[in-house]
Amino acid sequence: MLRSAFLPAKEALANQNLLRCVGLGNFQVPTREQSTQPAVAEEKYKPYSPFQNTSSKAEYALARLDDLLNWGRKGSLWPLTFGLACCAVEMMHIAAPRYDMDRFGVVFRASPRQADCIIVAGTLTNKMAPALRKVYDQMPEPRWVISMGSCANGGGYYHYSYSVVRGCDRIVPVDIYVPGCPPTAEALLYGVLQLQKKIKRYNTLQMWYRK
Amino acid sequence: MSYFGLDRIFKLMKTIKDYGGLRASLYKLYRIDNLRPGRLVATDKFGNKYYENNAYFYGRNRWVEYAPKYGLDYDASQVPAEWYGWLHYKTDYLPSEDPGRPKYKWMAEYTENLTGTKLQYMPYTTTNPKIQAWVPPSKK
Repeated sequence: MLRSAFLPAKEALANQNLLRCVGLGNFQVPTREQSTQPAVAEEKYKPYSPFQNTSSKAEYALARLDDLLNWGRKGSLWPLTFGLACCAVEMMHIAAPRYDMDRFGVVFRASPRQADCIIVAGTLTNKMAPALRKVYDQMPEPRWVISMGSCANGGGYYHYSYSVVRGCDRIVPVDIYVPGCPPTAEALLYGVLQLQKKIKRYNTLQMWYRK
Repeated sequence: MSYFGLDRIFKLMKTIKDYGGLRASLYKLYRIDNLRPGRLVATDKFGNKYYENNAYFYGRNRWVEYAPKYGLDYDASQVPAEWYGWLHYKTDYLPSEDPGRPKYKWMAEYTENLTGTKLQYMPYTTTNPKIQAWVPPSKK
């Protein structure tokens, strides 16, 4: 405080706080950072359904049925665990209480016949590739694949290895790629939520009608 | 009172009152699945609201309520980078009062994760394919 007493007059005038202490000048509210400024106009509320442009009554009805179907599918996504390496540990973490995937209706299912989705977690080797394909083929439609970690995405660290598949998308079609080595449980959970968003956009019945 | 847990009821009633009635509280329940009384710390430029309530334990005492324009399609990438640190306890400074935060003209506007929208990033290759897909022989 003592230092401010020795300020030159020019700086003192520029200093708002000092003026406030003395009681001079108009009290201008200092301009706030842009980051904390609220949006000027309230934007329109985003509706739940992605299908808003329906032209006929039948299309409208099917769009709502699609919404219902997608809601059911995304609310009870049962992944098949396909833990291959260290990524599997992170996959276990999202089942544990801290990240708790059960609150999104995601429950691990050990048998492929009752699973909706498969999480390929870890390095997919040539030896394991036929097993992955077999397990994927056993899953009923509709089925989704989450590729977790660099190794499953594109080989990762073992890209130039003689015994590793360079990405599990060479074996099965992948919906969501989760990057990281290994990805955190948060990242995997974000991937699961992205998959839920993707399921929400499915227009199964509308496409059936259009055909 | 607190022995029987009756203060919880009063706390709930106060929370509902703070939210502005039963209807607003039900809307909050629909949107974010719980009722959490808290102090509004700031609002960012996208309209997300940041709250703090130190009565909750560390790790749950700061949270974000996404702007109403997102509806139910909110996700964590809608929190801008400048708020990430505060929300994840990297810093206690708010973005507006942090002294050591670089700010240049060339810094790009923050965008959320655009995957699944029309603006999504689509990579494409500029080289010839190095592998050829196997075409299985047909059985006539």
